[in-house]
Amino acid sequence: MTCEEFERVLPELGDEHSMEQEEHLRTCSACSDLVSDLNAISKQGRLLQAAEEPSPWVWNSIEIALRQEGLIREQPGNGRIHPPKVSSKSRWMVPTAAVALILFGVVLHQRTGIPHPEAKQESPAGVVTADLQTEGMPSDDMQLLNAVAARTPSMRAAYEQNLRAVNAYIRDAEQSAHNDPNDEVAQQYLRNAYEQKAMVYEMALDRSLQ
Amino acid sequence: MYRKQHIATVSVVMILIVAALAAAETTRKEMHFKVGRRANISIVNQYGPITVKSGIGKRVSVTATSYSGKVEIDQSKRGNRVAVVSHLSPGADADSGRVDYEVVVPIDANVTLHTATGPLHVEKLHGDLLLEGSTANVDVRDVSAGRIHVKTLNGPVTLTNVNDGYVDITSVSGDVSLHQVNGASVHVNSSSGKIHYDGEFGEGGQYSLTSHSGDIEAITPSYASIEVVARSVQGRVDNDFTLQPEHTSFVPRAGSAFAGTVGQAASSVNLLSFSGKIHLKKREQ
Amino acid sequence: MTDAKKQQGRLSEAEAIERAKQGDAAAFESLYNLHKRRVYSLCLRMTANTAAAEDLTQEAFLQLFRKIGTFRGESAFSTWLHRMAVNVVLMQLRKKGLAVVPLEENIETEDESPRKEPGGDDPRLAGSIDRMQLQRSIDSLPPGYRMIFLLHDVEGYEHNEIAEMVGCSIGNSKSQLHKARMKLREILKTSRAEKATKP
Repeated sequence: MTCEEFERVLPELGDEHSMEQEEHLRTCSACSDLVSDLNAISKQGRLLQAAEEPSPWVWNSIEIALRQEGLIREQPGNGRIHPPKVSSKSRWMVPTAAVALILFGVVLHQRTGIPHPEAKQESPAGVVTADLQTEGMPSDDMQLLNAVAARTPSMRAAYEQNLRAVNAYIRDAEQSAHNDPNDEVAQQYLRNAYEQKAMVYEMALDRSLQ
Repeated sequence: MYRKQHIATVSVVMILIVAALAAAETTRKEMHFKVGRRANISIVNQYGPITVKSGIGKRVSVTATSYSGKVEIDQSKRGNRVAVVSHLSPGADADSGRVDYEVVVPIDANVTLHTATGPLHVEKLHGDLLLEGSTANVDVRDVSAGRIHVKTLNGPVTLTNVNDGYVDITSVSGDVSLHQVNGASVHVNSSSGKIHYDGEFGEGGQYSLTSHSGDIEAITPSYASIEVVARSVQGRVDNDFTLQPEHTSFVPRAGSAFAGTVGQAASSVNLLSFSGKIHLKKREQ
Repeated sequence: MTDAKKQQGRLSEAEAIERAKQGDAAAFESLYNLHKRRVYSLCLRMTANTAAAEDLTQEAFLQLFRKIGTFRGESAFSTWLHRMAVNVVLMQLRKKGLAVVPLEENIETEDESPRKEPGGDDPRLAGSIDRMQLQRSIDSLPPGYRMIFLLHDVEGYEHNEIAEMVGCSIGNSKSQLHKARMKLREILKTSRAEKATKP
């Protein structure tokens, strides 16, 4: 076996060598040195294995993004939304639960469709959706507005105005999705509408603004 | 004449007294923190402006000016995390509870701002931004390479010269204006607020401008490289470009929907509204 | 690591994956902690910049978590994750205009192909490779060679796993690895020779 032939098969060589290859390594110091060097480089490379860690902000940023995108959801059993009676300890769960329940509404809608919007509808317990029957606010929204009024009376009007805008958005988006359940754009409208509603709840119940 | 002079003098004296009284209530507090790389800075301030700029070195400087005794400023630093909170006493309102913040942070700092009335102003940073304001006017400029999340109820949002990042804006009824904003992902979700975009839709990113009833206007140069889908269920849709058709399941409808490509279609652009008008305009060079 | 511990680790990861599909925050964090070092290490060695490496690490995990609902266990989870990390890194390199050596057979440029050593009197490298020196040499490899070397010799992936991650053939992976090692040998010998001639 020549050096050229040996180097041609070198990329395929594992730990085992054929007799011919062994014989060549015994007699050729250049190829023997080459193999030894390449093995040393490989071995030393293994010692470089993951020693560094990313800084904690990487996980923080990932978690924020996952929550924003609704990929982190509160696990079942965390309870309904009751904005005015939330204690300070569990207040942090409320906006998260609001997001989870609203997303649940989206999933429920996608799986089962919705009845004709003019018909009286029974909303799943705890799901915050626009009440199509009355011109007033749904009861959950009223509770939210009462909570806002109790803390910051000057903001109540702004929240009411924005809730009405968002409820109108949800109403139209649900109608659109109902008309064509296979329409991806209509599904996008619906997701956006629920995202808006979740944001309003989250901002209203933000524990950081006392 | 003397009577008029007397009245004028008394008025000036009264004004000076009032100003002096006001100044007596005005309190200026300066805070300084030493931080490491990618520090997390959080300011919570119900009423009053917050301005954040970048500075040299690894220091955070916060100057808080309050105008009454009805608000207390609380600060904390844990590791690389700095938090400053304006605590309001019972009875504080938008005037008595107001605090003005001027903040200087390292250029790579991540900044979180919470307010009700704001306004919020951030410039020249490379870190992540989370800006939340109910009715606050939010202004971000000259920011790059970070994640920018903005949430308002009806506060208007303006982003200028923002590049190489991820932008996510949700506003219910605040108008959103984006000037030279480019990145891997730019997502605007509005209910009734108008959306205005003026830029190149560059960096091969994904751009999504969606509203319920707010009008959407996008101005981009003739050399833009985009794959665009635009649709309004009830509003009018206009387009200044000649689009190359694409083989998709999207059904164009004259006046209410169009889809196609311009140039190499490097970026993806979705302009969606339920009842708002949509106009994709060509910026003439 | 013993087989029993490995088995336990695999069960924990499987459980975390299922819980993450349900949106469990702790499960996401558990998966992140299990794999963050290797992903970060790969990104860091490819970019030689801690800030860029952290950004790429974040992006790789986000892409993974967004798609976790579609993971069916056809391949190892870590392979799937590292494939995403590799893609994220390669996209970043392309964005910056860095030529990533196409992973195709028989493509070599004059600058990149390791010179054939005439053989002879150079002493062996074995026993004299400094860790920092090797790290610097790896940093100077062309991105395509560097990627394969990191995945095989540093991270310990097999060629069939690398081929799946990077999207090339097993033969190509072996060939690129060999070229990477030859190039490193050349760099290390040159560096040693330069040191020897310094006063």
